[in-house]
Amino acid sequence: MKRVVIVGAGEVGYYIARRLAAENKEVIVIDRNPDVLNRCENLLDVQPILGSGNDPQILLESGVKEADLFLAVTNSDETNIISSFFAGVLAPEVVKLARIRSEMYHGISREILSRELKIDMIINPEEEAVKTVTRLLSVPDAEDVGEFAGGRIKLLGLRIDQCSPFVGRTIADIRAASGGLPFIIGVIFRDECTIIPTGGDIIRENDLIYVACERGILREVLGFFRCAPRDAKNIMIIGGGRFGLKLAHTLESKNYGVKIVEKDLRRCEELSAVLNRAVVINGDGTDWDLLLEENIHHMDVVISATGDDGTNILCSLLAKKTGEARTITRVNRFAYIPMMSAVGLGNIVSSRLAAINTILQFVRRGRVVSAIALKGENVEVLEVVAEAKSGIIGKPLKDIKFPRGVLILCVFREDQTHIPTGDTVIEPGDRVVILTTRQGISAVERELMVKMKR
Amino acid sequence: MQWGYISKALGGLFISISLTMIFPMVAGLWYSDSSVGPLIKSMVVGLVGGFLLFALGCKSGIVTLGHREGMAIVTLGWIGAGLIGALPFYFSHTFDTFIDSFFESVSGFTTTGASVMTDIESTAPGILFWRSFTHWLGGMGIIVFSLAILPFLGAGGMQLYKAEVPSPVPDKLRPRIRDTALLLWKVYLLFTVLETVLLMFGGMNLYDALCHTFGTLATGGFSTKNASIAHFQSAYVDGVIIFFMFVAGVNFSLHYQLLTGKPRKMLQNSEFRFFCFLVMLFVVITTFAVYKDSYGSIPEALRYSMFQVISIITTTGYATADYETWPFLPQAILFMCMFIGACAGSTGGGMKCMRIMLLLKHGYRELFRLIHPHGVSQVKLHGQQVPQDIVSSVLGFFVFYILLYCTGVLLVAATRVDVLTSIASVAATIGNIGPGLGTVGPAENYSHMPWMAKWILAFCMILGRLEIFTVIILFIPEFWRK
Repeated sequence: MKRVVIVGAGEVGYYIARRLAAENKEVIVIDRNPDVLNRCENLLDVQPILGSGNDPQILLESGVKEADLFLAVTNSDETNIISSFFAGVLAPEVVKLARIRSEMYHGISREILSRELKIDMIINPEEEAVKTVTRLLSVPDAEDVGEFAGGRIKLLGLRIDQCSPFVGRTIADIRAASGGLPFIIGVIFRDECTIIPTGGDIIRENDLIYVACERGILREVLGFFRCAPRDAKNIMIIGGGRFGLKLAHTLESKNYGVKIVEKDLRRCEELSAVLNRAVVINGDGTDWDLLLEENIHHMDVVISATGDDGTNILCSLLAKKTGEARTITRVNRFAYIPMMSAVGLGNIVSSRLAAINTILQFVRRGRVVSAIALKGENVEVLEVVAEAKSGIIGKPLKDIKFPRGVLILCVFREDQTHIPTGDTVIEPGDRVVILTTRQGISAVERELMVKMKR
Repeated sequence: MQWGYISKALGGLFISISLTMIFPMVAGLWYSDSSVGPLIKSMVVGLVGGFLLFALGCKSGIVTLGHREGMAIVTLGWIGAGLIGALPFYFSHTFDTFIDSFFESVSGFTTTGASVMTDIESTAPGILFWRSFTHWLGGMGIIVFSLAILPFLGAGGMQLYKAEVPSPVPDKLRPRIRDTALLLWKVYLLFTVLETVLLMFGGMNLYDALCHTFGTLATGGFSTKNASIAHFQSAYVDGVIIFFMFVAGVNFSLHYQLLTGKPRKMLQNSEFRFFCFLVMLFVVITTFAVYKDSYGSIPEALRYSMFQVISIITTTGYATADYETWPFLPQAILFMCMFIGACAGSTGGGMKCMRIMLLLKHGYRELFRLIHPHGVSQVKLHGQQVPQDIVSSVLGFFVFYILLYCTGVLLVAATRVDVLTSIASVAATIGNIGPGLGTVGPAENYSHMPWMAKWILAFCMILGRLEIFTVIILFIPEFWRK
């Protein structure tokens, strides 16, 4: 894949353009707003085109005919649908992806869209964000959770607090202490630094470490890292917008006890009409007395899901203060994301970030089975199929010279998963989970001969 | 300021420039002249300097390059290139003083073509080759050159590109800046091969053909002969050079469009049409003005006036006639041409036709508003409205150009140079033309200028080549404030 046309240079479009341009793809960005285009032009090596993605003339000018991938990610569903339609007419070969948010275009209309307009993927950011939340809920106390091999491998982001016994110990010590528990520490985030650890690296207080392990031994691993496993039962959702409703709907169908707090009475009525078991409460999420009245201190999880970042942060901080509840905070503005763990709100969900991750997974489709980005965008985890020509085949891992910042997290073969050691030998056809820094992606492509291109 | 990255980028740039000295060395070896030793010496000095800078900054990681860093890299890069380029002249004792070497080298890189060399033909061929080769490197831009060959510049490439090629309406041929740079160089290379072959058909040897091609396509003006193009006394050679000077004065993106089978893009481009119109107008007036007094026949007059008008308006500066013996009107026209210059995105200098065109359109709009105080009108280009900030940046550019020009004239006059020469020499250097009027006319050169004047004029050349703002901004205290 070489050339990508992106319609919409908003936050989603901008970040995808940035990621792809950094990987040496030819990126063309179309937007109607000259200001956001200017930002693209000044900061990224992409070609900006001023105009509407709905305009076939503009699409032709963007060279959509030679493009491999067409992403319509503006704020407007209709623009995305129409530009995908025109792109499909002009370039029948191009792979199309559209961001569509409105409920109206779901269900049957979604089928029509993908069948008749041949949109290869329709992405709904709220839906992706709901998936993020359910993933987070599946592992207690993890700050971030990724899944591979259909959920058999979990990648857990764990925060090391000051009372952890591992503070000041090296990775090798921890390995020794684990008594052969098969897990691997893939990456350490410390302040702004990203460390791909070797045995000699020392864990410090407040590090965020990512641990890969099999689903079956999740509890043992969590227990080993002294993260008390505690099941979530009662969940309070603050904010009953599009995202809140979708979330409540999904969670109640998974047998959680759900309470949803919404300010607007009219909206509450709508919510109660749609939801079955969930309790709908009319009130302000920042109203202390109301929250106490509704037993916020007995909640296992509080999810702040309003459309306003400030309100969400405030609600989560309030909830943290009252009880033991775990909080999940919805963040819209990217600029806030790095600051969230500084105020103690580690678990976040962002519909835009979720959408970006899903789009990137889609972009990497092909030999890469799935991919996720950790902590914004510095590190990526790729699940790839090892090809026969690949440089990682046939030798024990300890004898292979890996590019900097690249680590193999996990290997699976014929339904068997292995957390690799230095003696593991990879065979052709194995699926391999590789963790790499952003700079390492091209090295992975080149040296490990795992082709990501279609 | 991210000095680490700046130093790394400059190091890379200097290394690549030094390495290109291999080409003049080949010429020197072929003619087995005395230039090989000095060239090797210069190359080693350039490489050591480059590697030192590169090593200083090699730890700096991937950063987002701001436009301030971009401007600093470009300006310092051009000054540094001038210094490295001066070394072969200095080491080979072509000139007695370093300022003469620096003047010649800057004049080469900025494609000015103003020379301080009095006897060209007795200089070693290797040195002369380097002199013309600096034109060729500088013509498409040393930054565009390094963008094409140095992959690590990729991330901040756009900032560098915009600082070196400050076109009022930028166009990017390909999504990635490196691909754009490569394409432009390919087009440039293609024209180079073409012109060299055509000149060789006219009886030139490979060496002369190459050197004159470098001088033409870069709109430079250095020749290997004392009498410049007039030396060849051939209408064919004149014709080939006229054609390629004109080609070099047109936006290279348009050439690319033409070569990829989109000739309408070129024919419908309003700047290209404006440029053609100006050239034709000036050629016709000049032909009629010189035909009576200087030449007996119209074809003869057309040949020389066409050569001279195109040579000056594209800011090349080759001469087949001493236009100072012409009547005053054509001289005045040529002087105006020095300010107008070629198209944006070409290898030529001057204020650029695009800006003149936008200025005229803006001026007309002001008149329109005086007639219809409630009228609404926009400055338009290709049927589209030109944003107001582009129009005001063009106005700003014009003001600064004239302001700096006047300052330059005053400073040169302060070094006891006569008024006509001061006026013409600054116009000819800030516009990257080369020959001026007075004592720096096409039949003379700059060697007699006082050393202070040479520094001032060398600075004017860099100012003009980088189109004022990129350079002048470094002298504003606000630029350095954290």
